[in-house]
Amino acid sequence: MISVLGLGNVLMGDDGFGPAAIHALEADYSVGDDVEVFDLGTPGLDLMPWLADVDRVVIVDTVKSDLPPGTMRIYDKRDVLRHPPSVRVGPHDPGVKDALLTLEFAGRAPRELTLIGVVPARTGLAATLSPEVGAAVQPVVSEVVRILERAGAAVTRRTNPVVGVPWWNRSARDRLEGV
Amino acid sequence: MSTHITVDPITRIEGHLRIDVEVDGGVVKKAWSSGQMFRGIERILIGRDPREAWLFTQRFCGVCTTVHAITSVRAVENALKLEIPPNAQYIRNLIVAAHAMHDHIVHFYQLSALDWVDVVSALKADVPKTAALATSLSNWPGNSVQQLQATKDRLAGFVAKGQLGIFANGYWGHPAMKLSPEVNLLAVNHYLQALDYQRRVNQVVTILGAKTPNIQNLAVGGVANAINLDSDATLNMAKLYKVKELLDSAKQFIEQVYFVDVCAVGGLYADWLKYGAGVTNYLSVPDLPLDAKATAFDLPGGTIMNGDLANVKAIKSFEDPYFQKNVSECIAHAWYAGDWTRHPYEEESVPRYTAYEPDGKYSWIKAPRFDGHPMQVGPLAQVLVGFAQGHEPTVRWAKRTLETAGKVAGATLTPAVLHSTLGRHAARMIRTCVIAELADKHWNLLAENIGKGDTRIFNEPVFPKGEQQGFGFHEAPRGTLSHWVVIENGAIKNYQAVVPSTWNAGPRDAKNQPGPYEASLVGNPVADTGKPLEVLRTVHSFDPCIACAVHTLDVDSKEISRVRAL
Repeated sequence: MISVLGLGNVLMGDDGFGPAAIHALEADYSVGDDVEVFDLGTPGLDLMPWLADVDRVVIVDTVKSDLPPGTMRIYDKRDVLRHPPSVRVGPHDPGVKDALLTLEFAGRAPRELTLIGVVPARTGLAATLSPEVGAAVQPVVSEVVRILERAGAAVTRRTNPVVGVPWWNRSARDRLEGV
Repeated sequence: MSTHITVDPITRIEGHLRIDVEVDGGVVKKAWSSGQMFRGIERILIGRDPREAWLFTQRFCGVCTTVHAITSVRAVENALKLEIPPNAQYIRNLIVAAHAMHDHIVHFYQLSALDWVDVVSALKADVPKTAALATSLSNWPGNSVQQLQATKDRLAGFVAKGQLGIFANGYWGHPAMKLSPEVNLLAVNHYLQALDYQRRVNQVVTILGAKTPNIQNLAVGGVANAINLDSDATLNMAKLYKVKELLDSAKQFIEQVYFVDVCAVGGLYADWLKYGAGVTNYLSVPDLPLDAKATAFDLPGGTIMNGDLANVKAIKSFEDPYFQKNVSECIAHAWYAGDWTRHPYEEESVPRYTAYEPDGKYSWIKAPRFDGHPMQVGPLAQVLVGFAQGHEPTVRWAKRTLETAGKVAGATLTPAVLHSTLGRHAARMIRTCVIAELADKHWNLLAENIGKGDTRIFNEPVFPKGEQQGFGFHEAPRGTLSHWVVIENGAIKNYQAVVPSTWNAGPRDAKNQPGPYEASLVGNPVADTGKPLEVLRTVHSFDPCIACAVHTLDVDSKEISRVRAL
């Protein structure tokens, strides 16, 4: 089993990159029963059930970096776990690192984990991606497909892509005008 | 000479909760709670379709997704005076119940137990002695010598590698840690087992909500779970029985493990029953509606002022004007333009960041007030409001908790001890026990209603021309959540969410009355100003959740948060 998980908040500009990439992946490709594809939002420690006992996980997320916005960076499990997690003030501060470390202790972490991270330009209140980060969607989808193919998972390009904007880009006016 | 401590996890690009305390003579004298991120997220809803508002609101927060979805559809239904079919109430109630059970198990075991449990000390535990202790406390089958030995070996292997992984940031060996190695080992054992049970209740939400996080089955007017007992594609008997099996197994864990562990921690740290009361005004709203019109509820709501349980005032319905009229928010100490106190329908959120000024504006969180008073919300409010109104399951589980913890402490514990840091943990567990029972009841209500041949799930909403206002509330795991919506010609004109952690984490108001976090920290002991474990204990007891909205991962950072003592 291999899981592809998009993380991020679609209401916070470029932070919504993960869900946007998942939407684009599902529009253009169909996957077999051995692959699960999820847009998980920002689950914090509730990420654990999605990582526990899964063989391989691919996470698509934004990452903090000094590199230019839209840059794609790829990390493995060791990179994610290199530095210890921070002291938590709000119990819901923890994220990917904490979920993964907890499962490492329980002996139930994914055997392999790939994090495909994109550097955001802005993470303010907005339901759309910046142009730089929007341009990274297709390259990231291609990277996910490459990883799936390399792992021997079933992934096929759709002959008729699913069209339609994600719900977070619709307004009441769109409904009234039947868009 | 006083010391000023700031606890501020700055490793994420957007800020979270920041706590400042002034410590003098080993005791907190003054405290400030500050939200470090602008939460004007409601503005994104203006102009959207009210029927889709719940899709957006459930992305307000990554952990509290379900609760914002439920509250949003309730608000729009309230504006349209729209009833929903009984099946829709029961299905929503089951999701609400499962979500709460999941949330509370995670909070206790994964997020706050380690404030009390010294993981490293568990390595010194005598395994047979631990098993004997466990058997004396509970019938739980997961406490055998073999299982406890396996947990101890796992921990030893982990520590031998020279890195503590998830436990790396704990205050191990801190003088405020008091449990014996055996109790610590038992807790670590349950920490591991809890991972399974949170997954099981999470599966209930997945079956009924189609997906979690971010359920897919809601609709203004009901739910989208087609019911056909003979179809694999819809909600059928097989899926319903799977839900029951999952809920039953979680209930067993809650009653035989979670209940016992909280009573033990409460009894063994009985001195902490005198710290952390803070604001003793409490607010909760009724939930788990029993009929289409939501005139009767399985969980009571109301207000208690100044800890006076004898004068509890009930909140009785989704329309109750006592709730609707009395909620306001104040920005005197928050980074918004102006210094008003307003009703949610009248609010606007124009950000105006200045500096962090303890005597001026110092937070992005507004200060919600009820009839002008700060209110504590959350499980403690839920339990006290239920207890004061004689809500049978709440009274039964609260008494059982006080009795069991009292035996461990060797003292008689009265409900008054619940006004405390540990009281919040106890109340969260009491509430979870109550909800686990009610989940079972609502499963039966759903199965019986479907059995009668009623498969209705949805009433079509109709949006009249002109303006409508509505509010919806939900008693979420962290407390009273309300959404306030203004609709004009079928589109959203204004939207406000007054969230539980805002009630608790909010700053001072125009009258300089501190919020619940701030008030609860005053009087807490602090043994070591460089390691303010006691501050974290009290803040964690509220289960804060204020800024899960942005997530960017910081892979390269070496910074282990910032705790400064000046």
